[in-house]
Amino acid sequence: MPVPVMTVPGEQPASLSGAAVRAAGLRKTYGGGETAVHALAGVDVAFARGGFTAIMGPSGSGKSTLMHCLAGLDAATAGQVWLGDTELTSLRDDQLTGLRRQRIGFVFQAFNLLPVLPARDNIVLPMQLAGQRPDPAWFDDVVARLGLRERLGHRPHELSGGQQQRVAIARALLPRPDVVFADEPTGNLDSRSGAEVLGLLRSSVKETGQTVVMVTHDPSAAAYADRVVLLADGRLAGELTDPTAASVLDALRGLGA
Amino acid sequence: MRAVTLASIRAHLPRLIASALAIVIAVGFVVATLVLNQTSRATVLDAVGAPYVGVDAVVTSDDGSGLADELDRVAALDGVAAVDTTWETGVQALLPGRTGQQYLLAESVADAPALRWQSLADGELPDAPGEIAVSERTGATVGDRFPVTSFAPDGTERDSSVTVTGVVDLGGDPTAGIYGRLWGTAEQLRAWGAVDPVELRVAGVEGVPAGDVVQQVAAALADRQVAVRTGTEQAEEAAAQLTGDTMALTAVLLVFATVAVLVAGLVIANTFAVLLAQRTRELALLRCVGATARQVRRSVLGEAALTGLAASAVGVLAGIGLAAAVSAVAEAADSPVPLSGLSVPWIAVAAGLAVGTATTLLAALAPARAATKVAPLAALRPADPAPLRSRGGALRLVLGLLLLVPGVLLMGVGVALADVLVALPGGALSFLGVVLLAQRAVPPVVGAVGRLAARLGGVPGRLAAGNATRNPRRTAATATALLIGVTLTTAMVVGAASTRATAQAGLAAQYPTDVIVQGDGSVPASLPGRLAAVDGVVAASSLTAATVTGPDGQETGVSGLDAATAAPVLRSTGDVPIPAAGEVVLPWWADSSWGIPAGGPVTFTAGDRTATLTALYGDVERPTLPVAELARLAPEAAVDTVWLRLADDADHTDVIDEVTDVATAAMPFAFVTGLASERAAIDSVLDVLLLVVTGLLGVAVVIALIGVGNTLALSVVERRQENGLLRALGLTRGQLRGLLAWESALVAGVAAVLGVLLGSFYGLVGVASVLGSYGELVLSMPWLQVGAIVLVATVAGLLASVLPARRAARTPPVAAIAG
Repeated sequence: MPVPVMTVPGEQPASLSGAAVRAAGLRKTYGGGETAVHALAGVDVAFARGGFTAIMGPSGSGKSTLMHCLAGLDAATAGQVWLGDTELTSLRDDQLTGLRRQRIGFVFQAFNLLPVLPARDNIVLPMQLAGQRPDPAWFDDVVARLGLRERLGHRPHELSGGQQQRVAIARALLPRPDVVFADEPTGNLDSRSGAEVLGLLRSSVKETGQTVVMVTHDPSAAAYADRVVLLADGRLAGELTDPTAASVLDALRGLGA
Repeated sequence: MRAVTLASIRAHLPRLIASALAIVIAVGFVVATLVLNQTSRATVLDAVGAPYVGVDAVVTSDDGSGLADELDRVAALDGVAAVDTTWETGVQALLPGRTGQQYLLAESVADAPALRWQSLADGELPDAPGEIAVSERTGATVGDRFPVTSFAPDGTERDSSVTVTGVVDLGGDPTAGIYGRLWGTAEQLRAWGAVDPVELRVAGVEGVPAGDVVQQVAAALADRQVAVRTGTEQAEEAAAQLTGDTMALTAVLLVFATVAVLVAGLVIANTFAVLLAQRTRELALLRCVGATARQVRRSVLGEAALTGLAASAVGVLAGIGLAAAVSAVAEAADSPVPLSGLSVPWIAVAAGLAVGTATTLLAALAPARAATKVAPLAALRPADPAPLRSRGGALRLVLGLLLLVPGVLLMGVGVALADVLVALPGGALSFLGVVLLAQRAVPPVVGAVGRLAARLGGVPGRLAAGNATRNPRRTAATATALLIGVTLTTAMVVGAASTRATAQAGLAAQYPTDVIVQGDGSVPASLPGRLAAVDGVVAASSLTAATVTGPDGQETGVSGLDAATAAPVLRSTGDVPIPAAGEVVLPWWADSSWGIPAGGPVTFTAGDRTATLTALYGDVERPTLPVAELARLAPEAAVDTVWLRLADDADHTDVIDEVTDVATAAMPFAFVTGLASERAAIDSVLDVLLLVVTGLLGVAVVIALIGVGNTLALSVVERRQENGLLRALGLTRGQLRGLLAWESALVAGVAAVLGVLLGSFYGLVGVASVLGSYGELVLSMPWLQVGAIVLVATVAGLLASVLPARRAARTPPVAAIAG
């Protein structure tokens, strides 16, 4: 069981070379002058390898923006992001794109899959884009764990919401990325499918040492994580280790959410 | 709801402008056609009707008898101020700068200023015998003197000399370029042998209406067989005789305009369908907050009507501008097309506005109906990625087949009977069927080709194939617009190429020799060599002539042909065979008067010599035998005719002029027949027609390509989320651009190839049914042009993807998550 890394806001986390992803002085500002909105107002955070971390906070706290910047989907206004030893903010678009398809996996809230492609093609898409062939044994293993063996030939609209999210998880896990980012992965699911999806993410962390970072606003979803990072008004606002739904709820109340 | 309509137009303006471009082009085309037609009519009326426009009454002899005797009787009438008749004859003149004489049409000018219609470019009209005015075509200028040979009614020649006092500007008269004209006094014209003028032009007294003058004159000439018309009526009558062909041309142009409008309609329908599909949630929200289905529909149609009206207005202006440009170019180039100035008939403006607005409205009708069927709940559901289903597919299939099968059968019958009137409706029916079936047939073809593209193009190719087949209706509509344009263009190109090949073969058989120079008696020995040396002449062959006794005992002229030199001169030996040793080619009249069958022996005698030859038949004027046989039979036979072949790329008119000059210098009465210029004229008419028709149909292809670009741009907007996801998952910008390029190349390429196949079929069927009855048919496939059409359409389709692809590549990956 990996030990969650403790950070103190403002302190350089450069010494923490064991982190899968970390950010230093991350700022994201929309607009300028008096109307400027600071979605991220200087965030220093690190996520350990093999950990399952939830990012939580009230609406508008900047949790989605943080994830976008960490995943190289969005450019930060200031600050730095490292994926392992790679500094992301200095990369060109094509380098970032290549990095995303090989070292980062995504699970989004909705619209995860390309409607034209059957499940199998959706799963291997990032590796195909990178011009790689998936390891067949690993592919079979991932598909079996996610219970998708019978569904590989189906198109997304022939699958239930839970099945679609499982296909998205399979796609995220297949290239053995440095980190999987999940953005409200259960937001569109009923509670049973949601629990199933969270269990699968959790077991991928436990069984294969996959690093997972998940944005959520649901305390019971956050309870599946090893650690919860709380965000408010674009700043870190504390964190919890080994959270439960009740402790998360308490911490959120403390933020005034 | 009006506020919603206007706000929605503002919000979607760039997209609407892109699709409105199709309407602008189509309407511009319609308006330009109508305006050019009107301009051409007005120009002809001005030019051909010039002698009549300012005149109150015109008297024309119905029985061809002269009216010169009636001049005094008409002049004596109360309401008549002046009367004039035009004396007319033809003369031969040796114009400055030319070595041979030319035919000129000579007419008299009126004495009364009111009846002088000629507008002068320079100088003055003649006032005395010996003075003349000339048309610009003659090349003579004021002050020139040149000799004129005139012919009295009994045929006697008379030489005189004239001085040019003025140059007449004939304006847009389409006949101005055909031959030169000159004008002299009535006295001069009578001296040149003009007799029996058949027309009187009458100027009324100031203040007397033209109708009254006509009545007075008609009453005075009641005893003669004459027609009396007002000047305006006469001018229109004269113009109508010339513009009959122009009207036919307008009809053809309007057919192309219809094609352009149809294609624009398809493009618009397609654009609106996608535009509204994109706004499904927006429309559903309107329904949620209380708009009725009818209000939503009215808002959508209002948007279409306003777009159509605005686009049509721009199109009308563009059309008038285009017509003005064409007219200016035609005028500057002195083309024989009667265009000068610009006449805009109000009907062109009205028709342009009506056609454009109605097309847009009609095209938007189906998408608007579909959009208003949106349930209010759709606003609350996330975007539905399921494909739009094609409705009425079965009906379309049945209807398409019902049109296609009988249409193709009719075309078969038309080809078999060589009757275009049977093949034409067949073609129209079957093409309608093809258009209906295309909606069904195109997506599978795109899918099949897409699988190939998937192998070649990697993941982007595969995704592109999927995208192109996912919304079959959209793909089919885009492809159909391009398909129609390419099919028609190809049909025309193939049809024109075959028509040209057939016509060229026919012309070569009909006019095997380019130029025939005949002497008045024998030809000077040095002349054939000098003719052959003229620049542009590539081969020459001399024919000898002698008079011998035919098999019926009568004297007959015969020609001696040198096979060695004649073969390279003749363009075709189909109708004029070259006689081998021991053979003679007989003209067709010999069959009946000598009764000699083809292949039978025929004997000629001259003095004590005889020659018995085997008879062939051909289009010759005289029995034609090998030159050696004739020399044996009639040793005195001398060269009297020279055949010339001209270089294909030479300006035949110039070469023939020079040949004429060389020949007339050696033999004053040489007779030069330039069949080459006739053939070249027909050939160039075909060339120009081909070019014009291809250009016109190119308009339809351009409109269709706008549609391809539009569809692609819209599908990029539609797929913003999807493109964002792909970018998030690791699709580089280059790969995304590649994906869209593959997609458009797929749709455009498939449409172009299908269109070329269909067009070739229609073109060949058309040619076979039109020309089948005119003897030998030469089918010709212009592979180069057809290949160019496929290439241009596909490349243009690719280019159409550039802008949307740039836009798509800018899609931030976050767009997928942000939704």
